[in-house]
Amino acid sequence: MPRRTAKNIMPNRGSPSLNTSTLEKIRIGSTACVSDVQGEDSTALRLLEMGLTPGASVKVVAAAPLGDPLELELRGYRLSIRRSDAARVAIAR
Amino acid sequence: MTHPSGGQGDPDHVRPITVALLGNPNTGKSTLFSALAGIPTRIGNYPGVTVEEKVGRFAHAGRPIDLIDLPGTYSLRAQSPDEQVVVDVLQGRIEGVAQPDCIVVVTDATNLERNLFLASQALDLGRPLIIALTLSDLAQQKGISINAAELSHRLGCPVVPVVAPTRTGLASLGDRILESVAADPPAAADLGPYLAAIDAGRPAAAREAIARYAWIERLLDGVVRREAAVAVTLGDRIDALLTHRLWGTLVFVATMLAMFTSIFWLAAPLMDLISAGMDAIGAWAESVLPEGAIRSLVVNGVIAGVGGVVVFVPQIAMLFLFIALLEGCGYLSRAAFLMDRLLCGVGLSGKSFIPLLSSFACAIPGIMAARTIENPRDRLLTILVAPLMSCSARLPVYLLLCGAFVPDLPVGIPWLRLPAVVLTAMYALGVVVAAITAFVLSRTIFRGPPQPFVMELPGWRWPRSDVVLERSREAAWSFLKNAGTLIVAMSIVIWALGTYPKFAPEAGRQVPEAEARGEALRQSFLGMAGRAIEPVVRPLGWDWRIGCAVIASFPAREVVLGTLGVIYNLGDVDPGAEEGASELARRLKAATWDGSDRRVFTLPVALSIMVFFALCAQCASTLVVIGKETGSRIWPIVSFTFMTLLAWIGAFAIYQIGSRLGW
Repeated sequence: MPRRTAKNIMPNRGSPSLNTSTLEKIRIGSTACVSDVQGEDSTALRLLEMGLTPGASVKVVAAAPLGDPLELELRGYRLSIRRSDAARVAIAR
Repeated sequence: MTHPSGGQGDPDHVRPITVALLGNPNTGKSTLFSALAGIPTRIGNYPGVTVEEKVGRFAHAGRPIDLIDLPGTYSLRAQSPDEQVVVDVLQGRIEGVAQPDCIVVVTDATNLERNLFLASQALDLGRPLIIALTLSDLAQQKGISINAAELSHRLGCPVVPVVAPTRTGLASLGDRILESVAADPPAAADLGPYLAAIDAGRPAAAREAIARYAWIERLLDGVVRREAAVAVTLGDRIDALLTHRLWGTLVFVATMLAMFTSIFWLAAPLMDLISAGMDAIGAWAESVLPEGAIRSLVVNGVIAGVGGVVVFVPQIAMLFLFIALLEGCGYLSRAAFLMDRLLCGVGLSGKSFIPLLSSFACAIPGIMAARTIENPRDRLLTILVAPLMSCSARLPVYLLLCGAFVPDLPVGIPWLRLPAVVLTAMYALGVVVAAITAFVLSRTIFRGPPQPFVMELPGWRWPRSDVVLERSREAAWSFLKNAGTLIVAMSIVIWALGTYPKFAPEAGRQVPEAEARGEALRQSFLGMAGRAIEPVVRPLGWDWRIGCAVIASFPAREVVLGTLGVIYNLGDVDPGAEEGASELARRLKAATWDGSDRRVFTLPVALSIMVFFALCAQCASTLVVIGKETGSRIWPIVSFTFMTLLAWIGAFAIYQIGSRLGW
């Protein structure tokens, strides 16, 4: 399993460069590596607390039939977050 | 391990050890609680908040132990009142609740990494701490093996694998609890080296969260081994089915239909049985008691009131049976996941779906089901809009009025006729008003920092029958105990208002019984109140008798039909029976305004009554349950005021429009 090394954390918060994207944009069924969670509010903190920390590997398993929210798999469990929140999770492929 | 009854036998000088069960939601915490302590000795709310307090008592090796089941939480950095309560209990900041001598962190062995996040925060509290590894049997099936001894060594605290259903590891857990109270607490997680590697510009809380996961990854390195699952289990297959885009949706629709039918139709025979039983008891009391005020009080006040409470029990028990089953197999979160998009647009979340759906059968179990919503803002909002869903008690009112006053005209679609359209419109009205209310409230009074919708989707597991039954029993019991007495008291008050002052027919005049009952009601306090509010209900097209029947229906909406029967001199009618309903409809059609031959009931008046009943809060039981579930007297008052206002405005609008258009 790909694991974080603390040095990998990208300091370019807020402006994803070309080789980064956000979690809600990637195809269902694909896996990515979290590079950052943008924002400093309670939602951002809760996402980190649920394990979406830089370096963690996340798979987008499915979207609900109405398109939102998303079903993620990370750290051996399944998590559901809304697309609007997933848009704050920057990923590196 | 024994379950002492009433605490006798414990020497007074042995202070019970207080143990708190801390853990993420869905970790089998409640199952462990039941396995250790059995039925809780105390269930209530923590002071000032609507967070459930659950305490049980058991004894291990002769030492009494008080077990506190804390609400499931993901983090000790509290973002909601539920989580704040957890922190306050652990730090001994709640009056009347002893600070735990020992914390048992209930940790899901199939999901150790994320579960240890909370455990690592708990280590910082500097209290004796034990990790209980639950679901270790499931972990084994999934090919996850955990070296508990090594983990215990690295953490510096006991790690006890338990399988609560088979009571495996419970004795060992009890031993560790007794030892840990005497021993030094484990050291806090040393995050220093990990913090140093993180961008210092981040907020401290974010840095801490990132560092904790780094610490956990190091901690678990070599402790957890994952092999490819030995075989694809039945649970895996069920999971695949439930997450499938098409099949998963179909299963969901089928499940919700089954749940709804069971509370709407399956509960009906039981409810009829209870009604029949209460009627029989009433008839018996009528035969043994001498005629007079006491008999009337016992039969029409007390027995009818108790019947009106007990009749809700089948629906509550059945809904909670379903909820507990769904929760037990991990499906409750998936239902919320599937419906979230539909509800988040109006400021609610997917978790409101089951409470709102249930409210179409009855708002009482629906409001109680809102307990499954952890977020207090969403829970309150759901409780406030749930009574707007048209419950089964409104159906007889709609059916009678639609049948009697809505012309049976085709609407251009084969098989569809106007009464059916109006009936459907009443259901739609409740939903639309609820959506608007939720939307407006969530953007005004309930505005606050956005609450993250971050929800775990647990995998399929088999529910435990004893936990499911206990949940259902507990819900029914808490309704009877907490709400029952108040509801009975209110029915007695309404009975008294409808009976006094006593009507005495002039001496020598023979009055038929139905007419006498009608006159008695018209001359009672209720009748006076009906006359007093006439100016208020006039703009709705109602005469004072309708106003009076509406006030009398405060204990329960469906009472309005019976009261209309009495007030129009029909005596007791059973609006459920066909001849009763048609007789009532005939009588209503013939009713005229006092002192004129103008008809009272026209199409606009019938519509105005229906709209009023669709939106009003004429259900004492609902208001009592709102009070109990929110732990406040304010919310039932708010609920009643705003729904009555909505109902009045709606009825006013439809009557005025209808009569202007000459319907």
